[in-house]
Amino acid sequence: MTFARGFAAEVRKGLLNLLAGWRQVLVQMITFPLFYLLIVLFMGRGQLRADLLLPVLLGMVALTFIHEQVNRVFWSYLGDIQSGVLEQTYLTPLPSAASILGRQVAAVISAVPTALAVLVTGAVAITVQGGPLPFDAQMIVPLAAIVLGTCGLALILCGLTLVFKRIEIITQLSVALYAIAGGTLVPLAALPDPIAFLSRLLVPIAPGIEAMRDILLGGHSLTTLPTGWGLGWLLAQPLLITTAGVVLFNRLENLARHRGTLARY
Amino acid sequence: MIEIEALTKVYGTARVRAVDEVSLRVGAGSVFGFLGPNGAGKTTTIKMLAGLLIPTSGRVRLAGFDVARQRSAAMAQLGAVLEGSRNVYWSLSAWQNLMYFGRLKGLRKARVAERAEDLLTDLGLWKRRNDKVGGFSRGMQQKVAIAVALISEPPIVLLDEPTLGLDVEATRTVKQWITEQARELGTTVLLTTHQLDVAQELCDRVAVMRQGRLVADLPTRELLAGFRERDRYEIRVEGAAPPGFDAVTREGVTTMSVRVRDPREVYDVVERLRAQGAVLESLTQVQPDLEDVFLTLVNEPTDA
Repeated sequence: MTFARGFAAEVRKGLLNLLAGWRQVLVQMITFPLFYLLIVLFMGRGQLRADLLLPVLLGMVALTFIHEQVNRVFWSYLGDIQSGVLEQTYLTPLPSAASILGRQVAAVISAVPTALAVLVTGAVAITVQGGPLPFDAQMIVPLAAIVLGTCGLALILCGLTLVFKRIEIITQLSVALYAIAGGTLVPLAALPDPIAFLSRLLVPIAPGIEAMRDILLGGHSLTTLPTGWGLGWLLAQPLLITTAGVVLFNRLENLARHRGTLARY
Repeated sequence: MIEIEALTKVYGTARVRAVDEVSLRVGAGSVFGFLGPNGAGKTTTIKMLAGLLIPTSGRVRLAGFDVARQRSAAMAQLGAVLEGSRNVYWSLSAWQNLMYFGRLKGLRKARVAERAEDLLTDLGLWKRRNDKVGGFSRGMQQKVAIAVALISEPPIVLLDEPTLGLDVEATRTVKQWITEQARELGTTVLLTTHQLDVAQELCDRVAVMRQGRLVADLPTRELLAGFRERDRYEIRVEGAAPPGFDAVTREGVTTMSVRVRDPREVYDVVERLRAQGAVLESLTQVQPDLEDVFLTLVNEPTDA
């Protein structure tokens, strides 16, 4: 019961912060779609080509989630460590997993307005350009895989934040790296083989994006994904990353409690 | 109640002993003052008590629950205001903070709301309950932090410098609250402070730490009595200083400090003063305050 109440309180707090920061959301709802259109323009040598709009849209939606889940959770966690408020959350019977999970759910919800803005912009642009606008319910599976895998990544980054001071550089770098090497803008098949291999192995959004493209662009089903490492890996990778996240977070949290770095004010 | 057994914290490769074999027992319903100069190990001890820092060795029990082995149950007994920390979210209102932390403590929504209303009303914050804490004065922010610490009516409250940076009125409110919590509700309060007058006024018992070790742990009266200077008296007489006495005269009153071997010798001193025509205004045995005792304890030469 404590877990459920704490989790719900954490989600509610995240949403209150979302409401308080509505200006930032509004700015993102404008800049992310603009960024998406600019990328397509650059890739299409100054033209919004219909054959680029949909694949880049899929990558951009995934990138929106990873951006929100990693940045929102990481910065709020770092802020709580530096202000000392995180210690207060440890003075409760609540396991820290409930707090992290609540933060993640709030971050996923927080990503929805921006992701919707990107989707709507993409849909309008595709319609205007006369391209197809396919939908397949199977998309939910890779989308869920992306969200879950990103939770694992955020757990790892939060754990590192508890122990190391200057982790924000790694966080920023990781999001940029995923944007470039995660297959969001350029399909993994077009990247050098070693990079494509590492991306499929380690980047939480890479198998999901490949699967979404296979389903929507190629018309394939989940069981016959032609690119990447198939449905098994699509499901296994986020689970493995999340498991690694849980194990690492617990270890780093324990280390932080030994070193006294749960707060750094 | 709080029980600490041989609590030790050693940091880093340099093996710095921040807290060294500290043992304490704080009875239920008492106000316990945990004093010491900066770097003595008070905050480290508080953080180990609160389970925020894992001790190198030793054990802490809160209301019978082991902090290391029964963390969840132990934390349910505890509320704390930590020094230097914001303690609460400045981006949320006072009400939202209390609702958030109350739920984190595992309370039902209705119960948190009821308790939050009582606390905010008692602390004079009810009208500002929907304002963001970031816009509050330092004193009001501290009151919100105290309210958060008390939201679940914990039997044990840790207050690390609760009156630091507060104005006279806010300090008085916080002091009244500490007294009420202990006397009327039976809450065990452990507080650290550098304001020794506050400690002397509030604490039933006082422990003094120096260089990670306890150098005193006694009821406040007993500690003060132990340092009473039985051989020193302060005598005040009207007018100028009589000859033969070390005295200071200010605004027509002369104050003398007299040291005697036997208390009965005081009568001889008074007789001498009368013989010289002095008019006695007061005669008091010199009583040290907690500040005198504290300075004596922390400045005593160490064994090492």
